[in-house]
Amino acid sequence: MARKNCLVKNLEAVETLGSTSTICSDKTGTLTQNRMTVAHMWFDNQIHEADTTEDQSGSSFDKSSLTWSSLARVAALCNRAVFKAAQDALPILKRDVAGDASESALLKCIELSCGSVKVMREKNKKVAEIPFNSTNKYQLSIHDTVEGESESSYLLVMKGAPERILDRCSTIMVQGKEQPMDEEMKEAFQNAYLELGGLGERVLGFCHVFMSEEKYPKGFAFDTDDVNFQTDNLCFVGLMSMIDPPRAAVPDAVGKCRSAGIKVIMVTGDHPITAKAIAKGVGIISEGNETVEDIAARLNIPVAQVNPRDAKACVIHGTDLKDLSQDQMDDILRNHTEIVFARTSPQQKLIIVEGCQRLGAIVAVTGDGVNDSPALKKADIGVAMGISGSDVSKQAADMILLDDNFASIVTGVEEGRLIFDNLKKSIAYTLTSNIPEITPFLFFILVNIPLPLGTITILCIDLGTDMVPAISLAYEAAESDIMKRQPRNPQRDKLVNERLISIAYGQIGMIQALGGFFAYFVIMAENGFLPSVLVGIRLNWDDRSTNDLEDSYGQQWTYEQRKIVEFTCHTAFFVSIVVVQWADVIICKTRRNSVFQQGMKNKILIFGLFEETALAAFLSYCPGMDVALRMYPLKPSWWFIAFPYSFLIFVYDEIRKLILRRNPGGWVEKETYY
Amino acid sequence: MATTEDKPATKEKTSSWKDSIYNPRTGELLGRTASSWGLILLFYLVFYAFLAGMFALTMWVMLLTLDDYVPKYRDRVPNPGLVIRPNSLDIAFNKSEPLQYSGYVKHLESFLERYNETEQEKNEECIQGEHFLQDDTEEMTKKACRFKRSFLSLCSGLSDTNFGYSEGKPCVLLKMNRIIGLKPRGKPYISCAIKKDDPVQMHYFPREGLIDQMYFPYYGKKAHESYVQPLVAVKLLLNKEDYNKELTVECKVEGSDLNNNDERDKFLGRVIFRIKVSDQLPAHPEAAALLFTVNSSVYPAPALPSRGYTVSTSSPS
Repeated sequence: MARKNCLVKNLEAVETLGSTSTICSDKTGTLTQNRMTVAHMWFDNQIHEADTTEDQSGSSFDKSSLTWSSLARVAALCNRAVFKAAQDALPILKRDVAGDASESALLKCIELSCGSVKVMREKNKKVAEIPFNSTNKYQLSIHDTVEGESESSYLLVMKGAPERILDRCSTIMVQGKEQPMDEEMKEAFQNAYLELGGLGERVLGFCHVFMSEEKYPKGFAFDTDDVNFQTDNLCFVGLMSMIDPPRAAVPDAVGKCRSAGIKVIMVTGDHPITAKAIAKGVGIISEGNETVEDIAARLNIPVAQVNPRDAKACVIHGTDLKDLSQDQMDDILRNHTEIVFARTSPQQKLIIVEGCQRLGAIVAVTGDGVNDSPALKKADIGVAMGISGSDVSKQAADMILLDDNFASIVTGVEEGRLIFDNLKKSIAYTLTSNIPEITPFLFFILVNIPLPLGTITILCIDLGTDMVPAISLAYEAAESDIMKRQPRNPQRDKLVNERLISIAYGQIGMIQALGGFFAYFVIMAENGFLPSVLVGIRLNWDDRSTNDLEDSYGQQWTYEQRKIVEFTCHTAFFVSIVVVQWADVIICKTRRNSVFQQGMKNKILIFGLFEETALAAFLSYCPGMDVALRMYPLKPSWWFIAFPYSFLIFVYDEIRKLILRRNPGGWVEKETYY
Repeated sequence: MATTEDKPATKEKTSSWKDSIYNPRTGELLGRTASSWGLILLFYLVFYAFLAGMFALTMWVMLLTLDDYVPKYRDRVPNPGLVIRPNSLDIAFNKSEPLQYSGYVKHLESFLERYNETEQEKNEECIQGEHFLQDDTEEMTKKACRFKRSFLSLCSGLSDTNFGYSEGKPCVLLKMNRIIGLKPRGKPYISCAIKKDDPVQMHYFPREGLIDQMYFPYYGKKAHESYVQPLVAVKLLLNKEDYNKELTVECKVEGSDLNNNDERDKFLGRVIFRIKVSDQLPAHPEAAALLFTVNSSVYPAPALPSRGYTVSTSSPS
């Protein structure tokens, strides 16, 4: 995970991520770049498009108009943002700016299109300014004019909320010439404003006026507290709109989450229209899906008349959220597949997360700000942004995206699902060998045969040969359909279920036990004890004082002599388990795909196969093992006794998986797909 | 409104654990309907039947590869073990109490029945001192050499029906394990020793405790049906000082290449047993009941534990 730039703070989080069914994502900084960029301009009665790509690969607009230069000048001068020092070598878009997001956007846009803003500001020095305040919703500053630019000594430039700016303007600049504002112009303005706002962009209006020389001669003392100069009858220049564009990797990631069955919900404190626009841009609201408002607008009927069931998408305002009851909230979450919550408070973010959890979903929350931390904590897994995230959010989260890349969440989901799958495989492999380990003792007691498998050899399997292959299954690559499946239902899809037990104990384990018993009977028979004489012989066999026990050929054996044969049988049973476990580990590699499709790329597994065989050979043949562990050397032919059963395991499971693939949803899948 | 909605919910929760065993609404037993049970049991039936068939097939193939007369591998029995009759490694009795040694006597008697004259008539009179080698014939049966009971003279039970137990000079028979194809070199004989300061006199029957070579090789149960093992009887000539003491006797096969001092197996070519003869006269019938008796079981089903003896009081009958 660290290699993919995901810092995981607690490891269970990765498994939880694998079973995530809903992601509640914050917008600003998570889904978007948190870098306001100028996207459109309106001047000369026309909307112009600017380049918003991260690497300036888009198209440019026409800069010949005089209106544009005036607009650029207003934007550059009525602006308190500055580039930080010593960044001349860096590309403009990557430079650090001291100032707020909108002003930085304007600064970068002007710098890109017109050249050095610093030079501009030096030419028109600032004399006075009124900073932005939320009552007036504008900001203005007064600058010296350049020699020869005009008769006036001072230029007043103003920017702010478009409607406020328009109110203060009596003229408008068209093609560089000032014209009186008429109704037609005002209407054109309104349409442009609506259109740009409808795109979810933040729109700012710009205007200026060359202050009359008579009233405001050079040296005039401008008083900004008690305004002593004109702030109306200005000349409207144009609109600039900016947007916080989505991160490049997000639409793809959202698409992948969708196909993995994960619902993506946007929860933001920003304006609903902006939120909706970004949601559409990112894929949270997909093409063709409409909200009730969209349907109403399309069919030209009031919103109340639209059947709520027709709208699969919805945008919920924070104020509406306050009035919703729990049931109504559950209803919304259940019936809509694409949801955007806008203008939400931190408290409401928490309520949304709880609502999703009530419906039984496993919820992942992504966020970067302090206001996201309650939701991050409440979520089943909280994901914070590493670079732009606040310390509080990083503390509250279970996972941190070191490169702020939302797409890493998809990687995290894939890893989480993979871990769960591989754990199942490892458990299935390990449990299977229990049956060939326990049945010898059962038959020893029930049928009174000499013990086929001893304690030391059982330990050699569980603690020796089975360790590396079991662990190697954790390194197995994902089967092809891992991101196309629905998320795991935590109540129903357990790690160990009856189907796994049925396969491990009831089917494969039994075949393995038979392989071991066959080896046992073969060795006994080849030494003189045919199966018929073995049944019922246990009491005599284990009696130390019986030293003339007769075999099927009439020979008589002392206690020690026959015990050596018994321990040789233990060793052979142990080796047989190793042989059948070769087949077991290969079939446990996959749950659905064939081994031929999956390939044998897991190097650790291949190493495990060789290692367990070498260990088995060592335990059997190393001099001194007969005294230390009572494990005896096996004749070479005895290694191959369990091969038919090993082969049977492989063939049986491949056929089972083939039927599973061909008959999805059939009986085989229902009863054996674990 | 809220209360009526809550009630069915709680009702569901209380009946849910019962439902998981038997759900009357859906007809599910332990989570499966009858048809579901039927299918899964049928599957397992067929599956296990197939596995049983495969196992039987592989076993049959394996048994086909085995010879009827000789086991495939005999490297685990290169040397024979030595065992005694009566079949107990702790022999203890009171020579004045017939009940205590009657078990041993009966055991020896039944063991030696095979060696009676009438039984041994069928066997061959072989050339002494030589291995009795026989080539394979059409029917594969081999002839066995005679070992008559009379070879054991005083310990044969013919002259002394109590095998010397009543006089405190008990007889113990020794036999070597049968091993197919074993041909010992040299002149194997049995010699016993008691760990004591003064040696105890022992009588060996046949003379010098010799095991004749003519009884080897053994050709296996199927070919050599009437084979009888050569026996050596040792009569322990105990004196008054030897009574009421536990004596440890060690008998070994000497004079041949057979291994008799293996570190791990104490019964290869030798046997160690304990014998305790007491001579106390019974004072009281009840006192006799208080004496411990050794229960010797009749060969060949030893429920006898290895080195202890079961304790029982004999009832005065």
